[in-house]
Amino acid sequence: MSFLFVDSQTWTITLLGWAIVLMALLFLVGIFLLIPKIIKWGVKRSLRNKGKDQITDDHLAISGETNAAIASALFLYFNQIHDEESNVITIKQVRRRYSPWNSKLYGMTNMDFRR
Amino acid sequence: MKKTVTIFAMLAVVFCIQILFGTDASALQTVSAGISGDTMADLMKLWSFTGFANLHYQNLIMIAVGLFFIFLAIKYDYEPLLLIPIGVGIMLGNIPFIDGYKIGIYEEGSVFNYLYFGVTQGIYPPLIFLGIGAMTDFSSLISNPKLMLLGAAAQIGIFATFLGASALGFSPQEAGAIGIIGGADGPTAIFLSSKLAPQLMGAIAIAAYSYMALVPVIQPPIMRLIIPKRERIIKMRPPRSVSKLEKVLFPIIGMLLTTFIAPSALPLLGMLFFGNLLKESGVTERLADTARNAMINIVTILLGLTVGASTQANVFLTMDSMKIFGLGALSFMVATAGGLLFARLMNVFLKKENKINPLIGAAGVSAVPDSARVVQVEGLKADPNNHLLMHAMAPNVSGVIGSAVAAGILLSFLLDKM
Repeated sequence: MSFLFVDSQTWTITLLGWAIVLMALLFLVGIFLLIPKIIKWGVKRSLRNKGKDQITDDHLAISGETNAAIASALFLYFNQIHDEESNVITIKQVRRRYSPWNSKLYGMTNMDFRR
Repeated sequence: MKKTVTIFAMLAVVFCIQILFGTDASALQTVSAGISGDTMADLMKLWSFTGFANLHYQNLIMIAVGLFFIFLAIKYDYEPLLLIPIGVGIMLGNIPFIDGYKIGIYEEGSVFNYLYFGVTQGIYPPLIFLGIGAMTDFSSLISNPKLMLLGAAAQIGIFATFLGASALGFSPQEAGAIGIIGGADGPTAIFLSSKLAPQLMGAIAIAAYSYMALVPVIQPPIMRLIIPKRERIIKMRPPRSVSKLEKVLFPIIGMLLTTFIAPSALPLLGMLFFGNLLKESGVTERLADTARNAMINIVTILLGLTVGASTQANVFLTMDSMKIFGLGALSFMVATAGGLLFARLMNVFLKKENKINPLIGAAGVSAVPDSARVVQVEGLKADPNNHLLMHAMAPNVSGVIGSAVAAGILLSFLLDKM
């Protein structure tokens, strides 16, 4: 039997194939809707065991924007860290007292000859 | 000197006559035989080895196609990493030569034939998938899992094309291989066609990659046609943060579930999720780095070049190839429309604060990340403050999973019949 120039077997593969793809991803959707709930339940349970009974869902649900803000703040903080300096400025004594660079003669400006 | 010039002038005339009238060069060999005996025979032998002597107008057409691919890649930046290797491959594959000297890609023992082995045996596509897995961040998908359904909805393009190809008289295996063009996923298309219809693989791969490169041209008109302006400006809720545990669990559960459903797609799905686990585990950074950089680059070069070279004019320029190109364009359109319509349908059942922007349905066709970029651009045109890229990546990566599952299902159905 054929419908629209295509035999029934081809129609079967088409409809069944697409349905299986949809079902496969639907399973994944179901699992990944469930997993955050299980994780949240586990976290709450462990916190309760540690005596923190005041934890609510709002405490655990941190939005992506909040995370991004925290991450960028940390990034900026760590980027601005420099080596610790003593902030004491010292001048090292030069052993050789004489240097042409501190000679008065060399430091004088040559003046034009005035008549 | 005068004699040499005369000989070369005669050879040039022979060449021109051959191109214009299709006359065999040997017909004039007898005329010029008296000119110089052995020298002439040697020159004629040399001439017969050149590309000019074996040239056919079909080779010129294909070389022009190769040049056009390179032009598109350089001028318009359409998938340059793919189109330049493919374009060069098309040119190399269509340089005329004499058969039997282990030169061409279809000649056993030639260098190109060895490189092509990775395509015919389906080795390259899983390696590409390993790299894709190692560079893909599934967190947008994990944070809003229902967007995964858009990736499934867009796979309707594959099955609609399968129907269309069957109606046009292709065998079920050929129709299945052609249908996968609608998955907008080059490696999957090559993998499936190498198993189901190796004789059509060149045309299918070229069609798949060409339309993937043309996603920014094909999709926007369909998006504007199907989605009204008031829906294009819907702002979606920012995705929630995803824990590391969820990110590690996703490839493991995804791998187990999808490969149990479609074991035929094991090489693709297994490698995709393996690559993602390398990335998300956090302890195999070196391996993930190799998979997403060095390895995927090497395989892309080999895959693009050999797929391009497989389009030798005598096997490529056929009526079947033309049909495949037509069906490929149709499958992209149907897939895009399928994703968009399903997104609108989902909105009917969603609460007001959870509504999705239906434009992201178009990203379900896979073609990572081009279709997601197109969604972002179209979203910004409707509302300059509405950034949809992050949301569009969810159906985009689920499209990759969906098309690989669809390929596995088609293999399961159609390999039995061979």
